[in-house]
Order: sequence, then structure tokens, then C-alpha cells
Amino acid sequence: MSTAPFPDRARIDAFDKVRGATEYAADIQFPGLLHAMTVTARIAKGTMTELSTDAAMRVPGVVRVLTPDDFPPPPPTGGEDGPPPPPPTLEKRIAYRGQPVAVVVAETLEAAIAGAEAVRPNFADEQFSCRIDSAGAESESTEDWTAGDAAEAMAGAATAIEATYESPTQHHNPIELLATTAVWADGRLTIHECSQGVNVTKGSVAGALHLDPALIDVKSAYIGGGFGQKGLAQRQTALVAHAAMLTGRPVKLVLPRGQIFHVATYRPNSRHRIQLGADATGKMVAARYHAEHEQSRTGFFSPAEYHESPIRMYGIENYLGTAANIRIDRQAPGYMRAPHPQASCFAFESAVDELAYKLDRDPVAFRIENDTKVDPKTGHPLSSRLLNECLTEGARRFGWSRRSAAPGSMTASDGTQIGWGVAAGCYPSMMPPAIATLRIGANGSTRFATSGHEMGQGIRTAIAAVLLEGLDINADKLDIVIGDTTAAPQHMTAGSWGTAGAVPVAAKAVERMRAAVSELLAGRTVAGNLHRQLATVRRPYIEIEVSQVGAGQNDDALAQLREGGFVVAGPEYPEFTTMSYIAHFVEVHIELHTRRIRMPRVVSIADCGRVISPRTAASQVRGGVVWAFSAALREATEIDRRYGGYLNNDLADYVVAVNADIGEIEVGFVDQPDPLANSMGLKGLGEVAMVGASPAIANAIFHATGKRMRELPIRIEHLL
Amino acid sequence: MQPFTYMRPTTAPDAVSAFASAGADARYIAGGTTLYDLMKLNIEQPRHLIDITAIAGLDKIETDGDRLRFEALAPMSAVATNDVIIRDYPVLAEALSKAASQQLRNMARVGGNLLQRTRCMYFRNGADGVYPCNKREPGSGCAALRGLDRGQAVFGTSDACTAVSPGDFPVALVAMDAQLEILGPAGSRTLPIGDLYRLPADTPHLEFTLAPGEMITAIVVPKTAAGRGSTYHKIRDRESYAFALASAAVALEMDGDQVSRAHIALGGVATKPWRAPEAELKLAGQRLTPEVALDAGRAAFSGASPGKYNGFKVELGARTVADALLIAAERSRS
Ligand SMILES: Cc1cc2nc3c(=O)[nH]c(=O)nc-3n(C[C@H](O)[C@H](O)[C@H](O)COP(=O)(O)OP(=O)(O)OC[C@H]3O[C@@H](n4cnc5c(N)ncnc54)[C@H](O)[C@@H]3O)c2cc1C
Ligand code: SF4
Repeated sequence: MSTAPFPDRARIDAFDKVRGATEYAADIQFPGLLHAMTVTARIAKGTMTELSTDAAMRVPGVVRVLTPDDFPPPPPTGGEDGPPPPPPTLEKRIAYRGQPVAVVVAETLEAAIAGAEAVRPNFADEQFSCRIDSAGAESESTEDWTAGDAAEAMAGAATAIEATYESPTQHHNPIELLATTAVWADGRLTIHECSQGVNVTKGSVAGALHLDPALIDVKSAYIGGGFGQKGLAQRQTALVAHAAMLTGRPVKLVLPRGQIFHVATYRPNSRHRIQLGADATGKMVAARYHAEHEQSRTGFFSPAEYHESPIRMYGIENYLGTAANIRIDRQAPGYMRAPHPQASCFAFESAVDELAYKLDRDPVAFRIENDTKVDPKTGHPLSSRLLNECLTEGARRFGWSRRSAAPGSMTASDGTQIGWGVAAGCYPSMMPPAIATLRIGANGSTRFATSGHEMGQGIRTAIAAVLLEGLDINADKLDIVIGDTTAAPQHMTAGSWGTAGAVPVAAKAVERMRAAVSELLAGRTVAGNLHRQLATVRRPYIEIEVSQVGAGQNDDALAQLREGGFVVAGPEYPEFTTMSYIAHFVEVHIELHTRRIRMPRVVSIADCGRVISPRTAASQVRGGVVWAFSAALREATEIDRRYGGYLNNDLADYVVAVNADIGEIEVGFVDQPDPLANSMGLKGLGEVAMVGASPAIANAIFHATGKRMRELPIRIEHLL
Repeated sequence: MQPFTYMRPTTAPDAVSAFASAGADARYIAGGTTLYDLMKLNIEQPRHLIDITAIAGLDKIETDGDRLRFEALAPMSAVATNDVIIRDYPVLAEALSKAASQQLRNMARVGGNLLQRTRCMYFRNGADGVYPCNKREPGSGCAALRGLDRGQAVFGTSDACTAVSPGDFPVALVAMDAQLEILGPAGSRTLPIGDLYRLPADTPHLEFTLAPGEMITAIVVPKTAAGRGSTYHKIRDRESYAFALASAAVALEMDGDQVSRAHIALGGVATKPWRAPEAELKLAGQRLTPEVALDAGRAAFSGASPGKYNGFKVELGARTVADALLIAAERSRS
């Protein structure tokens, strides 16, 4: 493996995107297209007793109204370990407010909307619980995460802190709305949907509609932001597919944002009670941590995973992590960027800061001294851990040595309070198997097809970096086909494993292609790039196929991949654990009187192994910091416990950070290959980028004001 | 959304008579940034739209003579970037430029701006009949009263409604004693801007005092020396593209270090643009120190009656007024 840094390279799709030429799922046109709109439940729990479609059918242009009676019963659920069951289709049983109960299909979007408004179902409602602390909420414990003996170690700790932290309900809100178009033709069902897992969508629709998956193709070439919201099939997917099959025409649904708030997944409100203890030398020796979050009655997004990052943040040998679902009557929460550690590292890294202050230690030095080279959970070595390098380099660039330690001791001449805070993050580095075909044509074209999804993170640019580095081919006629079940077996792209899935297999394809070409040329020297060489020897094209599995995986993983399964290796590989790391340094300014909190500058240094695409990597980190700012200081979804549902369900009232909020973000990388994780030495980045930046902000606010903010979002009223 | 007719008259009298013949279910539409939004939410359900943007010559911005005059169809962005307004009446320019987004300000007209409706979340969400709201459906109740009221008003509320009047520009206009020119079926009249807005009392669905078919044709602001010493200070949940949590429109006539006359109006905290005469009186003849400014701010909020989660607006509002006074005083010196 060469370990030279990759050169900076522009996004290969940037030009198309800024011109609006890129086609997203909702942009693809079909002749004879019908438009769909969903009708939703007005109650938070109960049963739909009556659904009259007559008025809707009288709206000019309405073609059909689908109701629960049009759908087959739900498929039997698989075992515990199988893929998640497909989302339900239309049901009379109402589990949450905003659940779809009917779909109106019409010749125009306006007619579909008018038709949906004309459906007025009746409901028998029941008592419901819609908040984590509502009466009727049911607590359900899940598995523990443990290392050593936390109770005993805590009892012997010389210094300890205990505190509870809270993160609110938050929604993803990618700019692209949930869009599905289904086409039923010649006995095949083709679904175009913004999906981070076209394989999952395929299986889910097959399950929901009792179809043979072999008849279904799913395509998602470009996604306008996913962030985990688009990892699984949507509630609407099978509805639209079924509408297309019943009407025999292509059907499209673009779900309005207000409805997306009510049916898509979201980051659940979570609470984190943490006890941290250090011995007399200041080494952290024990952590006891209980996490719980709001959960639907049947959802599976696990609260135990809040421990996945904290247990590996430092060399804390004794850790007891407990967790519980609090089951209430809402739709299921799910993965949202940095899904668990956004909340758990906010809590944990705030607690570490609190302990550092209690011990009168510098929070950077304190972290550095609590380093580890082994995974406390498994006892295995960490394949690479350069968090201390991130902390040291970040401190240097930020100018941390000029910090005055006492809270409230740094102020500007106009009385503005200044705070400098630090926090770190880690996130599992995982890897799915992949199969790829690479075809180079004498006509100048190159086609590379593999598993992966482009949600703007730059996976195509990373793949192109490897192909163009290793092969003398035309960059402008390079077609990278991903997110398409007809092109190559697909695996869900999430959890920062996209690059690890696509880039090692691309590198292998480069190697195999070079071998194939040299075999073809058999020692002859032929001038020109690969296309010219093929033309000269009169070969229309060369195509090769390669596959790649993660450490500890074998051909079974490839077989599962072909079946559309979920087969991710890591972060606990058979002999080692692989995590990515980051350190964030934040400066906040807090206005003297009106207490607005501003963040003029941030320095973030990441250890993501080898950096494949420097430009998109830096962009991932900036995006992570921006969202962590937004999560810490802006975003919360409002739920009135008397009604259920979400009140601030548009982008005017769900307050996300805007450009004017964001100061300078300096990004750096350690850029050292991980020796074990995969052939390219890369580790995941997209998730870890966000982890730890929210607590760095909260820690900076403490440093500025002496006020410890343990509940997000932190707003003006909390500092008045 | 229900079907509606649409017409585009080219003169103001034509528009008024078109409205008169269309009847009660008609609405004028200017930039459409409020009305279309509310139509899509099914909160407004007009049967006839009378688009007034084709009326020629109703978008002038006049700054000569002893008054400023903005015709109703002038875009928010045009008034916000007018050089004279920026220099001599920053309170007016800032109230516009700190509102909404550039795209919205390009579309929206200053006439329509005065008639935007509340952002109360229960009002905006309830067209499917879940949240009771007296403003949307008279007599149905008010979900905000015992609900999530962080954004609600602390002045001018009633047992029927606590919704904030959301606009920024109207607050600045109230501070500057603007008058409206109005054309209606019964002819034309003028109206002090403060009299355009009603308190909710027990009829929160009645928000404005315009008679059916009356059109705002222009906004007139008397010129005053206080203009230069003015500011619109807006505190919100993010640095742009958000409505005010608390705002203050302030203009000061100074005599050296002493305030001779103060104009103060409050936004984001009241059910209509809220003039603060107590604070104005308190300042007259005073030397403006930070303490005096904060006293005035506190005086402005002495009559506030907050709910459960919006109590912070009282302290935040007082400090916003205080900071605004100091900014305005600084400007009046330069
Ligand atoms: C996302 C968002 C954020 C916003 N943020 C802010 C903010 O921070 N601060 C702020 O102040 N505003 C804000 N606004 C509101 C914006 O300023 C108003 O929507 C805009 O000023 C309305 O002007 P318009 O011309 O588009 O009005 P329209 O939507 O065309 O009309 C509004 C109302 O006025 C009536 N009308 C229009 N013109 C006349 C006339 N000449 N005579 C009589 N009746 C008339 C219409 O019938 C309608 O009832 C925001 C709006 C949006 C959508
Ligand atoms: S405060 Fe007014 S607008 Fe809001 S719900 Fe109550 S009545 Fe409706």
C-alpha cells in the first residue's frame, strides 16, 4: 500500500450540482405520471373506525384512493437478528399522530392534495403517552455494557462527579424531501427513491407487498442529504409501489415536510446519568452511566449503543453502562448523524470536563493523560488511536496555551464573555463487503459499478480519487454507478462506512485492471492512455470484477451481500478494535446583556486513518461542526404532551443554524494510515466529525460564564 | 387548498371595485409570502385573489420634503437598501433587513408586510382540527394558553389569545408615528399605524381595523431629527431568518448628553406592535447612562404578564431596550 497523501481534488459532481443538472429522485420524469398524497391520522392513538373516500373520488383528477383494505396483512416478523421488519403499510390501528391512513392518487399534484383533504376519516381515540415522562410511558431495560468492576472501583475513587444530561428530540431535515416514484412495467417494479440503502428498500417492499424481491429494482443515484433518515425503507415506499401496481401507471409521492416530521425517524429525547471517578493521581478509574431515551412501542433503535463510544473514549478500566427504552406512542426514532454519541458524548465529554475542573486539571492535558491503547470493552488492542495527536495539534493551532483557566476570567473590552472549550469524540470504524465491476472502453469511457450511496458526502469523489490515481483514463468520461440494485449488489451506506466499503474495492479493481492490461499487452509497449492502448490492440473494452470483505469476514459475507443483507464488520474485529477520533477546540462569545451565544472559531483535528479525498473530508468535518453547533444551541422539536405530534414542523420554526451563525472552522487531519483496518488504511469520518463538538461548545460556555449547561439546546434564556 | 379565481387589475380603483364585487371571500395579494403560505396550510381559504402587483406606479419610495412615503408595492428589500433610509432612518432599514430572508424580502411588499399573521405554532398547525385556536376558529379555545408558550406575548394578551404580532417593520413604524394611506369602497382615508392593529380581547380572529375591500396604498413617516439616532435591535434564536424573541425600535432626539425625546416600541413580545410610553417618559430630560437605559427598559416591561415558558422575555426585553437605547444614543452623536 502506498501511503502518500492523496492530492486535493474537486468534487467530480460539483459542476453538475451547481448547474442543477444532477437528477434527484423527485426530478426523474415519466410519461403518464400520477401524483400521490397521503391522508394522516388526527389522533395520537386508537383506531380508524370509518374511512369514506366518496368525496375524494369526486375531486376532478382523482384516480384512486388506497385504504388499509387494499393492502395484504403484514408479513411475519423475522428473528431478532434479521433485517428490521418492513415499515407497516396502511393500517386501521393508529400508533401515532400523523400516521398515514390513506393515499390519494391523481392526475395532478393539486388534485391529489385536494383529494387527500377531502378524505375525512373517523377515529376512536385512546389515552396516549407522547413524552418520555408522560403517564403510561413504559421503561424497558436493555443489555449492559461493562468492563471491569465499576461499583468497586467507584467506591475506591478519590474524586468523583455525578450529573445528568439531556438531549432533546431533534429531526434530520435534509433539504431533499422524502421522494418516491414507482414504475410497474412488464412484470417488474422499479422504485426511484432517495435511499441510503436501496437493498433494504427492495427487501422491505418485497416483504410488505408479498412480492418476489427478484422482481424489484431500486435506484438512488443522488441523495439530497440523508443523515440516517434515508437508511431504511420509508413508510411511504410500499404505498407508492402498490399504487403504481394497482393503477398500472408510474406514481410519485414527495412527502411534505410537515408530514415527514411525523413519519420519518428522528433523534430521540435522551437522558444520561453519569458518575465518573478518578484515583489520587487523577487517572479516571470508574464510570457508571445510565442512558434512556424515548422510543416507540415497537421500535428497535437501541439505547445500549449510547455506550459504544464513551466506553472507548479513555482508558477507564471499570465501566458499567446500563440503558433503557422508554416506550411511548410516537413513531420510531432512528439513526441521525452521529446517532448515539451526539447525545452520549455530549454527556460524557461534559462529565469529563466537570471532573477535570474538580481535579483542577487542564482539560486537554487531562484527556491526554487518560489515553489508552486497548479497547476497555474487549481487552483487544486498538488498531490505531491518534487522539492524543489530535488534541496536541488542535491545542497548538488553537493557541490553547494562552487560555486563562478560571471560568469567567476572559472578557472582551465591551464586556463580552469569552470561553475556550475542548472535547473529543470517537466513533466505530466499520466496513461492509463489496463487489465491483470495472470496465474500460477503447472509446474513452470507464464504468465502475459497486455498492454505495451518494448523499453529498462525496463517495464518488473518493472512488474517483483512487481510480484516477491508479489508472491512466479519461476523468471526464468516468461513470461511477452506485445506489442501484441493477448495477452491483448493494449494501446500506451509513455509519461512516461508505468509503471503507467502496475505496478498498476500487483499489483492488485498479490492481486487477493493471494486471489484466499488462497480460493483454504481453510485454508490448503501446503508447497513450488505457483507452488508446485498447484501441491500438483492437480490444473494444476490458472488464474485470473484484470483491472485498472486511477483516474477519469470508465468502459468507459476499453471499449475504448478494442477498441484500446487512453485513458490516467492526468496530470489534476478531483481533482488534478500530475507532476514529476527533478533537474539537471552540471559542464562544457571550454578549454581556442579551446573552446571545456566538462561536467565532473552531479548530477540529481528526484521526480517520488515511485521508482519501481531502476536500470532501474537510467538508464532512465542517458540516459535522455546523450541525453540532445547531444541535447544541438551536434545534429541538416541540411536542405538546396534550396532543402528540410535532408543532414546529417546518424550516421556519424548527430552528437550524444558518450561515450567519457560523464562524471560522479550521480542519486538520492526522492522516496516518491505520495498519489493520483495511487495505487502504482508512477509517470512517462522517459520523465522528460531529461527535464531541456539542460538548466542546457547552464546555466553552462553562469556561466563559461558570455556568454548567447540562441540557440541550442551550438558549438565551438559560444564560440571562 | 380550495380552487380560487385570480385577477390582476392595473389600477388601484379597479382593484378596489374588483374586491367589492367579489365579496367577503376575496383577498388582495401582493408578494404572496404570507398569504400563499397560509393558503397551503388551509388557514386562509379565499375564493378570489386580487393580485395588486400589476398596479403601475404604486411602488415609489419618496424621501423628499418633510416626510418619507413608501407606496404599498415597494418591495421590502428596496426600502431596506434605500441610501437615505439607511443613513437617516436606520430603525426603518434595520427593521426590514433583519426580517425574513433576502429571497422573501425581494418578493414581499411593505403593504403586505403590515398584515402578516401570527407565527403562534398552534395557529399554524391546526387546520386539520387538532389544536383549538380562537383565532383560526372562533370559540374553539386556545391551545397556547396552557401549552408551549415560549414564543407567546407578554403584553396585550387575553384569556382568548396570547399570540405575538410577528412583524418587525410595523414596530419601527409605530415608534416613528407613521400614518397609512388607505383606499376603499367608501373612498380614501388616513390611519395612524397604531390604530391598524386590534388587541385580541375576546375576538382574536379580528386582527386589523381595515374594512372589507380597503387597500393600503402608502405608508407615510413624518421626518424627525430622531431618525439618525435610531436603531432596530432584534434578539432572536439565530443570527438571521428568525422572528424576534424580543426587539426594540428606538429613536432618540438628544440635547447633548440628554434625551429630549425618545421613541420606543417593542416587538416579539406583544399581541400588536407595542409602544412603550412609560419608558419614553422616564427618559425625557435624562442623561443616558447604561443604568438609566436599563431602568427605562425595565419600565417598558413593568406591565408585562408572562405565561409559563416565556417569562425570560421580560428580562430579555428590558435588556434589549437598554442596549437599543445605547446604540441609538451612540448614533445620534456621530
Ligand atoms: C419563512 C418566513 C420568515 C419570515 N420572517 C420574518 C421576520 O423575521 N420578520 C418579519 O417582519 N416578517 C417576516 N416574515 C413575513 C414577511 O415579512 C411577510 O410575509 C411579508 O412582508 C408579507 O408581504 P407580502 O407582500 O408577501 O404579503 P402577501 O402575502 O401578499 O399579503 C399578506 C396579507 O396582506 C394583504 N395585503 C397585501 N397587500 C395589501 C395591501 N396593499 N392592502 C391591503 N391588504 C394587503 C393580503 O390580502 C394578505 O392578507 C417571514 C415570512 C416567512 C414566510
Ligand atoms: S394564542 Fe391565539 S393564535 Fe395561538 S392558539 Fe391561542 S388563540 Fe390561536
